[in-house]
Amino acid sequence: MLKSVISKRTLATAAATATKPPKMKSFKIYRWNPDTPAVKPKMQEFQVDLNDCGPMVLDALLKIKNEQDHTLTFRRSCREGICGSCAMNIGGRNTLACLCKIDKNVNKTVKIYPLPHMHIVKDLVPDLTQFYKQYKSIHPYLHRAKFPADGKEILQSVEDRKKLDGLYECILCACCSTSCPSYWWNSEEYLGPAVLMQAYRWMVDTRDEAFASRKEELQNSMSVYRCHTILNCTRTCPKGLNPGKAIAEIKKFLAVD
Amino acid sequence: MFTRPALLRPVFRSTTNRALFHTTKSNNLTIPFLSTLPQAPGGVKGDVNEAFVPPPVDKVHGSYHWDFERVLAVSLIPLVSLPLASGAGIPVIADTLLSSVLLAHCYVGFQSCIIDYIPKRVYGKNHNYAMYLLTLGSLFSIAGIYHLETKENGLIGVLTSCWKEESKTEEKK
Repeated sequence: MLKSVISKRTLATAAATATKPPKMKSFKIYRWNPDTPAVKPKMQEFQVDLNDCGPMVLDALLKIKNEQDHTLTFRRSCREGICGSCAMNIGGRNTLACLCKIDKNVNKTVKIYPLPHMHIVKDLVPDLTQFYKQYKSIHPYLHRAKFPADGKEILQSVEDRKKLDGLYECILCACCSTSCPSYWWNSEEYLGPAVLMQAYRWMVDTRDEAFASRKEELQNSMSVYRCHTILNCTRTCPKGLNPGKAIAEIKKFLAVD
Repeated sequence: MFTRPALLRPVFRSTTNRALFHTTKSNNLTIPFLSTLPQAPGGVKGDVNEAFVPPPVDKVHGSYHWDFERVLAVSLIPLVSLPLASGAGIPVIADTLLSSVLLAHCYVGFQSCIIDYIPKRVYGKNHNYAMYLLTLGSLFSIAGIYHLETKENGLIGVLTSCWKEESKTEEKK
């Protein structure tokens, strides 16, 4: 019974794709190969039939990689916006390829670049070493002198836990940091919105006891204060979080420090 | 090195080999006529697994500077709205305050631009020269404000007269 239903459905879809005229959408994708470093990066165009492809840009990228060019390189993992691997610049906006719907208008070309102003390892793969080093520098873990004697969790009130909402959801995809002009110019010293939002996340955590030292680490002209409230970070965040507000809250903490 | 087949070649050999990386962060973005310092490959200092080391604690250039910036910006609101509301002829003290706070506001703004676009990390001494130039310009402006307030009609007075002169020349036409 089930088998026959499935086979009927498959037949139906097959028939549908066979009868429908192909909807060819063109994708222009940034290519650069480290094996031939002297060859300049270029935009390569691929045609994908939208009738035979999933709805998201990542589906199209996978389809291109499977069927047209195996050398196309990009990071991907969960395909549902929770790992942050497939962050890239699609149509001029930093976003996750797996959360970005393909525009059904076949007359328009989708342009896909790696995250802007990053060192590129290959094609759409940026080098995030500095980003992770900066994340490490804010000590993203609980600092406490004492832990509960029974070895169980540190209890928190509902209100205290609520302070972390909108902060803990960050998946560190680096979309916001790489959309920030201040981070473009000074990523060697300015921490960037993603890392600062995590710094704030640990500052407001009531279980953490290192508030003073966390503030102290940001007390210089570069770490926080290169933020000029451009707010590209909040606009681009594929998870709908607000790093701009978190930075503003950090500035308020520091202002009365 | 390049005769080995591609598969045998590790992508990450060492951090010193980052010249192999391509970068969208082009050096063309630096100011062409200013000399620059050599930069760490990929902008990364030290080992990949070491944490980034933040600059030393400096409250004067940190939160105090930011607070000062905000105080200037907020105090400009009444100082600008007073002459706008009263039309012309505000007291000399108010005019002096407005010009001085405006100058300080501009100084802090340009200072921020220099830190952003001519950072010490990249331009070394040129960063200092830019700061000296800004300070020199600001000193001239202080002298200018003194001149405006003592010899002439104050900042608002001069602005108003500009308006009047223009309308006069229009009438002549």
